[in-house]
Parts: sequence; C-alpha cells; structure tokens
Amino acid sequence: MKIDCKEAGRYMVVKVLEQRMGADRAANFKDEMCKLIDQGHTAFVLDLSEVNFIDSTGLGAILSILKRVGKSGDILVTGASNTVGSMFKLTRMDRVFQMYPTVDEALSARV
Amino acid sequence: MKAMILAAGKGTRVRPITWTLPKPMIPLIRKPVMELLIEHLHRHGVLDIAINTSHLAPLIENYFRDGDRFGVRIVYSFEGALVDGEVQGMALGSAGGMRKIQDFSGFFDETFVVLCGDALVDVDLGRVLQFHKEKKALATIVLRDVPREQVTKYGVVEVCKDGRVLRFQEKPSVEEAVSTVINTGIYLFEPRVFDFIPSGQEFDIGGQLFPALVAANEALYGVVEPFNWLDIGSIPDFWEATRMLLEKQLPGFELPGQEVRPGIRAGINLRVPWDRVNIQGPVYIGSGTDIGAGATLIGPSVVGSGCVLQEGAVVRECILGDYTRVSSAAVLERKIISGGKCIDPTGQYLDINESQIGWIVDDARKRMQLTAAEAELWEQVRDYVMA
Repeated sequence: MKIDCKEAGRYMVVKVLEQRMGADRAANFKDEMCKLIDQGHTAFVLDLSEVNFIDSTGLGAILSILKRVGKSGDILVTGASNTVGSMFKLTRMDRVFQMYPTVDEALSARV
Repeated sequence: MKAMILAAGKGTRVRPITWTLPKPMIPLIRKPVMELLIEHLHRHGVLDIAINTSHLAPLIENYFRDGDRFGVRIVYSFEGALVDGEVQGMALGSAGGMRKIQDFSGFFDETFVVLCGDALVDVDLGRVLQFHKEKKALATIVLRDVPREQVTKYGVVEVCKDGRVLRFQEKPSVEEAVSTVINTGIYLFEPRVFDFIPSGQEFDIGGQLFPALVAANEALYGVVEPFNWLDIGSIPDFWEATRMLLEKQLPGFELPGQEVRPGIRAGINLRVPWDRVNIQGPVYIGSGTDIGAGATLIGPSVVGSGCVLQEGAVVRECILGDYTRVSSAAVLERKIISGGKCIDPTGQYLDINESQIGWIVDDARKRMQLTAAEAELWEQVRDYVMA
C-alpha cells in the first residue's frame, strides 16, 4: 500500500497512492496507519483523490483506524470520487466522517 | 398499414442495464417500453408488426411471442447466428434490417411505419399517414420541434414550406443549426423504397438511405407533429422518463396498480405497517413487497415486485428492480438497482458483489450471508450511526 504523508499543522495528511482499496490492500493500509498512530499522531486528513474503487473491507479499514485513534482523534476524508463517495453514503459512513472535496478545504475548515 | 420495430441494438449507452436486458425490454414503471409502443400501434389499427432482434433476442421473443396477447401479429427477424449456443450479432443497420425482411417474402406490400423499440411515443399515426398519402411521399419523417438549445443532441432536418426535406444535420451546434425540428426516428415508407436499399449489407436509414433519396430527388417529406416522445437511449434518459411518468406528466399514461394512499400506488399482497412507515409519493410499490417498520420511502420512486425494505431502511428517489433487498443499514438516494448493479442517474455504477455491499442492497432471493468484512463493517457502522 503506497501512501504519502505530509504534516499540516496538527493534522497528518495521508494521501493514498493506489487506485483500488479492496480486500488485498486493506490490511496493509491499516498497518501503515497504525505505525503513524504509534508515533503519536491522532489527527488525520485522509486524501482519497487517487482512489477509484473501495469495497467494504476498505471502508472497514478506515473505520478501524477511527476506532483506534479513539475519542481524542480526528479523521477527515477528502477527495472521494463519485463511486467512492457513493460507498460512504450507502453505508452511512458519510455521517461518521466529515468529508471535504479537497485537502485544502478540509484544513481551512478546521483552522 | 404494417409496422417494423427496430429492436436489435446493443444499447451500449444504457449499460449496465442492457448487459442483462435488451433496451426495448427496459420497464417504464413495470411495462417494457416496447409493450407501450405495441399498444399504441394497436390503438391505431397497425396489427402486423415485424421486429428485428439480435442482442438478448430471446428476452424479447419470449415476452411478446406471436403478439396474440396484445391483439397484434408479430414476426421476428433474427439478425445473427447461433455459434456454439452463443448469439453472434450481425450488424445490418436499420435499413439493412428492413431489406432482410423484404427479401424473405416481400412482407412490406403496403405503406409501413418504422419505429425504434426504445422510445415511448404517442404520435397520431393516422394524421401522419394522411400527410404521407396527400404528398404522395416515398418516405415521410416524423419531426418534432424542440427548443433551440436542445438541437445539439439530435439529427436536425431542414424542410421547405410544403414539407419536402432539403437537408440533414447530425447534432449541430446551436449556432449552426439550420432549424429546430428534429428527426424522431419514426418513418413512413412505401415499398418502392427498397429500390434504394441494397441487399445483404449494412445500411442505415438516417446516414445512407435518406441522403440517397435526396440525391435522387425522390419524394422525401417531413411532418412536424406535436406529441410526447420519451426516449430511453441512455441511463439519464431512463431516469428522467420514469420520474416524468410517476409525476403524471405524460397524458394518457396510466400508472399500474391501485392508489392505496394519496400518491402511493401499489400492486397486491403487500406487507406494509402503514402507521409505522414514512412513505411519500409519488411512489409505485410492486406486488408482494415487504416494508419493515421505521422504513422511509420517498418519491418519485419505483419499488419492484418481491422487494424487501428492512426496518429503518431509507430509500429516497430510487428505481428498484424486482427482488431488491434494502437492508436496515442502507441509505439509498437517487439510485437505480438493476441486474446486480447500483447505478447513479448519470450512469456511473457500483457492482454489488465486487464492492461487497450485499449487506446494504442485494437480491432478496439470496440468503443474507455476510462475508466477515461485511459483518464487521456493519457492526462498526451500527455502533457509530445508530448510537
């Protein structure tokens, strides 16, 4: 699972550099994120703008990260394409995560 | 007058629905669009109908059979070959398809009308026939006046005052359009038109036959008729057509079922706890559907037969095919569920199996067996959302 990490204020911006977030990638994504959490990060902007397919396993991985950071944590989701956005909406996960069109919009909304 | 309905297309612009259903069989609130067309022909006394088929031909042929049920007589012209049990299409084009039927037995021995099987029309065929006869036309194109900004989607036709066709423009820009009347794909022909259609090769009515008629200075006319024309050439078209019909914007179209509550029409044998659901019309609910307490169903929506909306499910402005199960966890908004796909009105879609969303929406006839990932996600979402 390729990701790109950049710090922006109190947020760690994590860009997923894969087109598919399916069962074969989900565990690996979780591992990468857990490393960041172990380093002390609890606030993330998750940039999904490169992703054009996500399944229930992929969504489950994102949700498990939220669980892991706990109540003190904060995860914003950005750049969900039509199909990825559809998956969040269908599963009601758009109510669990705050979603923004772009990373910049997410960050400026949280300043 | 005899008729030919063009029904051999693959319907590429209506995928994914047309992976499993030929375009003429796409239902407009329960009835295949071609059935509505055949009913219209019957009303106008057109009883002998030839239909060319190819893509998913058995679905059309097994539904309409010999036409007896609809008060008409139907013959099919299958375009293709069965190779190892698989249908291999043979592209003949619209005019080539007509020619194949004519070569077989000279079926078209009087004035005949040609229509596309994928548009709902209520054109007054009697009036068009009268025009065609008065002009002694070899071919008459039924035209429709559209707002200028819409010409870019259609074939524009320029006609002179007496109706003679001068020229054609395919999808012109608003600025370049020579008129605002468009070709609706409904034509009347005399049998002599076959002099201009070659045998055994692909030949198109709009692209080849009409230019040939113009070049030969033949009597090619166009008549502008005001009538309703619901084309379902694409997913957005299908979406809009269904909503228009639900909102009763097409005079003469009768919604199926009985009105069981204001704005709510339904089939028979439903299980709905009316005092514990939120249903707002216009909605059609198919027979044998089961709606759980606390479910929300907002129109314009169509729910097919044998569907299950579980407790708390939310369905807003959707077209659900037969046997769709919507789970308690689901929020379905502006979706078409058909053939294992969850489709947006734009045509973008998710495959239900591939995306592992069977726990949200699936075929109601399947046992609800969640994969480990689905069960886990369902549990987690429930913790967060339902809390």
